[in-house]
Amino acid sequence: MAVEILMPRLGWTMEEGMLVDWIKHDGDPVQPGDVMFTIESDKALNEVECFETGIFRIPPGSDVRGKMLPVGTLLAYILQPGEAFPGESAAAPVQAAPAPTVSAAPTVAAVPVAASAGHMPTISPRARRVAVELGVDWTALQGSGRTGRIVERDVRAAAAAAPAVQISPVARRAAGELGVDVVALAAQMPGQRITREHVERAAHPAPTPVSAPAAGDTRTPIPRLRQVIAERMAASAHTVAPVTLTTEVDATELVKLRQGLKAVGLKDGRPVPGYNDLLAKLVAEALREHPQLNARFEGDSIVTSAAVHMGFAVDTERGLFVPVVSEVSSKSVRQIAAESAALIEQVRNGTVRPDDLGGGTFTITNLGMYEIDAFTPIIALPQCAILGVGRIVAKQVVVDAEAERVAIRQMMFLSLTFDHRLVDGAPAARFLQRVKQFVEQPYLWLMN
Amino acid sequence: MRELTYTAAAREALAEEMARDPSIFVVGEGIGQRGGNFNTTTGLYDLYGPMRLRDTPIVERGFIGMCTGAAMTGTRPVVDFMFVDFILDGMGELINQVAKIQYMSSGRLKMPMVLRGSIGISGASATHHSGSYYPLFVNIPGFRVVVPSNAYDAKGLLKTALRGDDPVMFLEHKALFNQKASVPEEEYFIPFGKAAIVREGTAATVVALASMIRKVNEAADTLAKEGVNIEIIDPRTVAPLDIETILQSVHKTGRLLIVDENFGPCGIGAEIAAQVTARGFDDLDAPIQRLNGVHTPTPYSPPLEAAVVPNSAQVLQAIRDLLAE
Amino acid sequence: MADLSKEQYLALYRQMFEIRRTEEQLAKAHQAGLVHGACHTYVGEEAVATGVCAHLTAKDSVFSTHRGHGHALAKGVPPREVMAELFGRVTGCSRGRGGSMHLFSPEVGMMGTSGIVGPCILQATGAGYSAKLMNTGAVGVAFFGDGASNNGAFHEGLNLATIWDLPVIFVCENNMYATEIAFSYATRNTNMAERARSYGMSAVAVDGNDVLAVYQAADEAVRRARAGNGPTLIEGKTYRTRAHSEGMPSLGTYRTQEELDAWKARDPISTYKAKLLQSGAAAESDFEQIETAVQRLVDESFEFAKNSPYPDPSTVSNHIFSAS
Repeated sequence: MAVEILMPRLGWTMEEGMLVDWIKHDGDPVQPGDVMFTIESDKALNEVECFETGIFRIPPGSDVRGKMLPVGTLLAYILQPGEAFPGESAAAPVQAAPAPTVSAAPTVAAVPVAASAGHMPTISPRARRVAVELGVDWTALQGSGRTGRIVERDVRAAAAAAPAVQISPVARRAAGELGVDVVALAAQMPGQRITREHVERAAHPAPTPVSAPAAGDTRTPIPRLRQVIAERMAASAHTVAPVTLTTEVDATELVKLRQGLKAVGLKDGRPVPGYNDLLAKLVAEALREHPQLNARFEGDSIVTSAAVHMGFAVDTERGLFVPVVSEVSSKSVRQIAAESAALIEQVRNGTVRPDDLGGGTFTITNLGMYEIDAFTPIIALPQCAILGVGRIVAKQVVVDAEAERVAIRQMMFLSLTFDHRLVDGAPAARFLQRVKQFVEQPYLWLMN
Repeated sequence: MRELTYTAAAREALAEEMARDPSIFVVGEGIGQRGGNFNTTTGLYDLYGPMRLRDTPIVERGFIGMCTGAAMTGTRPVVDFMFVDFILDGMGELINQVAKIQYMSSGRLKMPMVLRGSIGISGASATHHSGSYYPLFVNIPGFRVVVPSNAYDAKGLLKTALRGDDPVMFLEHKALFNQKASVPEEEYFIPFGKAAIVREGTAATVVALASMIRKVNEAADTLAKEGVNIEIIDPRTVAPLDIETILQSVHKTGRLLIVDENFGPCGIGAEIAAQVTARGFDDLDAPIQRLNGVHTPTPYSPPLEAAVVPNSAQVLQAIRDLLAE
Repeated sequence: MADLSKEQYLALYRQMFEIRRTEEQLAKAHQAGLVHGACHTYVGEEAVATGVCAHLTAKDSVFSTHRGHGHALAKGVPPREVMAELFGRVTGCSRGRGGSMHLFSPEVGMMGTSGIVGPCILQATGAGYSAKLMNTGAVGVAFFGDGASNNGAFHEGLNLATIWDLPVIFVCENNMYATEIAFSYATRNTNMAERARSYGMSAVAVDGNDVLAVYQAADEAVRRARAGNGPTLIEGKTYRTRAHSEGMPSLGTYRTQEELDAWKARDPISTYKAKLLQSGAAAESDFEQIETAVQRLVDESFEFAKNSPYPDPSTVSNHIFSAS
């Protein structure tokens, strides 16, 4: 019997909520008490637990992450093995059992019956239990039981076929409790036996003191937002092939431009474009020329976005947020400045709409105010790249080597981290070079 | 250690307890001077005389009812019924009286009665001398039901039966009477409700009773040569039933077969399967299977009789089928 | 008339009167809904249980049948325990596990009444076997009706007791009907004593409404048993003057008003009282004293039973086995 999982009402006044992230993924076995997904409502992040035992299924094309949805919206189903989505036909019946014979010949053990696409294979209760214990996704297995049933040996074989995980029993248990993927962890530390410390370190990205905390140390539960950030960062770090390019640019002209605009803005009282707003405009122009950097993986394909939706990394008391200004290319700098200022304000006071936190195609992160020069930012998936902006500092630089002339210039480092899976080094370097040119000669974009 | 036959071991238990407790007496047809159709009392009449080795007319209901009254009034009767088929005449006494007296009297009366005799299919005994019927007794609250599979267990369990205050159906498979086992000289007791792990293994659990233990062991020997190790459990008493030991074994192996010469419907295997499904579901890697005798009256002609009882090849095949599930 | 002391005469009267008043109280309580199940009264047959049990001590065992209230009372079970049992209370003689047809009080040798007709005959034989094996001098007594005498248990029990010379008294209360089946219909030989003698045992038929006749026959039977001379069957011809079971018609389709009236005129209690008065063995004041005392006992018993608690449902599985 399919059980519908709906957007829950988590408080008397809640009318809609945002599905922040799936904790269970399509096809995962679930048991009562398992957290299925997280919901943000009323500025609180809530874990939604499961009341059923079965298979967690997200209907195709209904990944509603990041969208504000009315209470009662269908999000997912809990199905039983072999059960189809409501409205679809049930799994084809398995091959009829052969009549037992009294022949003394050993019965051939494996008569796998492939589960038809989209349907769950049958599994013995024990095999299901062992699958949970070993962290094996049994829904993809072929059973060797007489009727094609997945039995314990199939699950153990699958676990053994996965990258060999050497793990202590204590660590195995801790991994279960902390929700750490031991296979992924093992992949990061080939040849090493996973201990409880490894698991705990993986569960808490910040270094965890292994000895008793010293006087004055504090230990607090991980806030949900921190967990979400951690998971996203870890997902990015585990998924992408990041390469960082750094270049020093002469921002003297940019500084002049900014000061000029500031003078105008002070007169008419409208928001003055900041460096990030200016950079957004310039980077968007560079992206138009280098669209590979404005691309993302989506299923089997690479989607290159025509529009540039620019994310701005914003530090808040609650943690890191990345609000997005859409359609940067078609907006004036002033408009960008107005929108980014509003978004930053909303982010800081917690009123930002979920729609404004997603959909970015490129991100700018600026640590200049902390006197950082260069760094290696982490790509916000599924984007291809992120531009790290360093401080602008006056330096004595050689402006004409032949004339042996030096000058004081406003210098700045740009750090581009890109996903080498999507784009190679040279095109990325050409993109960064183009950005450098725009920064050094901001008026160039007027030519486009 | 000395070896005794199943019959001799059980007789030794009876002799020891009769020497110890003068309130024990035996009734039955031909259990006096003759010493019992199956030599269950040989030599005891000379020691204890007719009041304690009481030959009876052929009156099963009568002497069961009489022994009920005796057990209520301070003595400890042993009903030696020869064939369990015979006491079906006394079923009303057994179910309405023997099993219920302790309960109806709110525990102020005891019912220390042992009913012992042969069960099972063996030697063209035909249908009035081949019954087992223990599920009938297991179904009734108030009986202890014992089905020993070897001489050692027969002695230890009969000693326990004769010391207790509950009615005990002590059912001896006639195919086992002449089988020998090591039986120590020292006194020992085997508690009710404690299964024996006859053989340890990991591939599958086979629960078997009485004469089926030997057949399962043969099958396990064959499989062991192929590197497959079967765990064999002998519950020894089916009421009380040691389900915990079976559950522990299934936790280890994930597979369960119950081999029972007696009938399948509402039988011991059905009960074990139900309890294991209820409490050990997540340990099961395959459907629980049963191998039972054919659900038919027992025929006389040897080829027909042989077709009724699970044989070694069928036991082996049943285990192989279970492993292939 | 038997040669008894005044106390003995009056004790027999007191016992019969106690049974009668208790049964009448139970019949009323049944109508009031206090008795939850069946209620088979012994009214009209009091002389049999009284005459036999007068010879028994607590070590002697009585096994009875479905019409067993009178046997339990005569064997010494207090009326309040019988009433409480029928009311289903924890203070009942079977602690609420038995009801009208399963009265157990081993402390006084009441080894149970039974809802099945016949087993008491075999069980009394077994009590005789225990007594003989352990040489206790006790006797086993079975009370049963004419209905049981066509059951195998009757023939098997009488035969076994005879061949082994067991100290057993078989007391057949021949009230002429096995519920609705007349004894004259159920057998071609209605001579119970003759049937018993055919097994080789002593047997005697007496007027079951004459407590002194029963008393005398039982005296002989108990002496014979205790002396090791084997069993005796006593047939007491008597009549049940209430319905088979409370709530059923007292005549049914099988009895006539004339028959009932004739037996009521031979009521064992009033005829015995008249006989004692007539012979001068006791005075009216003796009876008044007894009747007042018995009525008070029955009233108190009723209050006790009515106010007793029901058993705790959590104990429902206790005592299936000896260690539980």
